[in-house]
Amino acid sequence: MRISEVMDRDLTALSAETTLSEAIEILTRHRVSGLPVVDGAGRVVGFISEKDIVKAALPGYFDYLQDPSFIPDYGQFQKRLKKIGKDPVSKIMAKEIISFSEEDSDFYVAITLIRNHLKRAPVVRNGILVGVVNRADLLERIMLEEESPSFA
Amino acid sequence: MIVTVTLNPAIDEEYVVPEFRPGGWFRVSRVQRSPGGKGINVSLILKQLGVETAAMGFLAGFSGEYVRDVLRKAQITTNFLHVRGETRTNVYIVDEIGKVETGLAELGPYISEDEIARFLSNYERILKRTELVVLGGSLPPGVPQDFYCELIRLAKQREIPTLIDAAGAPLLAALDEGPTYAKVDQRFMATYEGVALNSLDNLIEAVQRVHSHGVEWVIASYRTYGNVFCTHEGVFLAEFDRKGIVSMFGSGEALIAGLILGGQERMETKDRIMFGMAAALENALHVEKGIRDRAAVERQIPRIRFERLL
Repeated sequence: MRISEVMDRDLTALSAETTLSEAIEILTRHRVSGLPVVDGAGRVVGFISEKDIVKAALPGYFDYLQDPSFIPDYGQFQKRLKKIGKDPVSKIMAKEIISFSEEDSDFYVAITLIRNHLKRAPVVRNGILVGVVNRADLLERIMLEEESPSFA
Repeated sequence: MIVTVTLNPAIDEEYVVPEFRPGGWFRVSRVQRSPGGKGINVSLILKQLGVETAAMGFLAGFSGEYVRDVLRKAQITTNFLHVRGETRTNVYIVDEIGKVETGLAELGPYISEDEIARFLSNYERILKRTELVVLGGSLPPGVPQDFYCELIRLAKQREIPTLIDAAGAPLLAALDEGPTYAKVDQRFMATYEGVALNSLDNLIEAVQRVHSHGVEWVIASYRTYGNVFCTHEGVFLAEFDRKGIVSMFGSGEALIAGLILGGQERMETKDRIMFGMAAALENALHVEKGIRDRAAVERQIPRIRFERLL
């Protein structure tokens, strides 16, 4: 099955100049974990996730967070987060992004997302954003498919 | 791509209540919930006709999530800005026996200046690959009354045609900017430039005046089941009878969707009007908003009475 049938045709995106505090607001309001970053023509130039923002607010500490015995300093985290709030999205967004086209198969997209530890990724047509794919939606779709899909 | 703008979307709740009257307590025999607002309705109906659109505007809260979810499932491209508050719910009570419709409309969430600015940047971005902009409905609190002017101006700068379906001050302001198509919602508008919209002659005068302001197509509802059309080819009246009509709710948007499809397929003016009116009629034959499919619309064409007025 092609992802054009599973993808979310939502064009919500940030621009490279959007501040991180605005980005956090938009992520929360739209209840998503990450959004594409586009230029004035809708061309995808990056992707930013809440994980990238957390990483930026906790430089050096992020790896410790993976360790359950580590207790982060909440006050320090807040201070750093507020400080980087005025920075533009372009400063911390992922610039080397994985994107898909509407013709890609759902299985190929799911495997690529899983291998790269991505929850969401943009779908583009000639470089222009036309939607996003969510890992959870794909998993559900693959689960419901009747036969095991081929790699073709 | 066709872009529809719904600044104040809604959940439309259509209750079928036989012999409804104020002051009573009634059992609802059927209820139909659907995402609404003029632009969104046009997007949904165009999808049923096989035409792709992108819907944009403001959504809020739980109702906003619902609207987005339905559009997503219909595989319609969306670019809404989510804001604080709650998207409104509009209630319509349809009495199939007495043939009376009652409506209750909420105001909608407050839109801040920052959110308007964010919307405009999304709008300008999408205009770069837009062939037609459809603007429809009321404005939510916080949005300036002349906002449609700005949206039309930005589209005109890129030579993109615009269609507006609105009423009152926002429509009057928009007409100054010269949209390509204007549909005057007579339910909410009693006069235009001092002309009372109560007789056919007055209505003809009003649509001609709007046309003279540079609007290529003017559409105004006439009585319950008719519309007057003013184009450079003349003034026309198209009507259908009330046989089999359940609810006219959404028929205005079905008309617009039909006219848009007719335009895309380069139909002659008469055929385009007939197709649009047939879509409006097909929409009115069932409680469910929208049309069944194109073939169902085409079956209604023989029921449209078309007349040249001038």
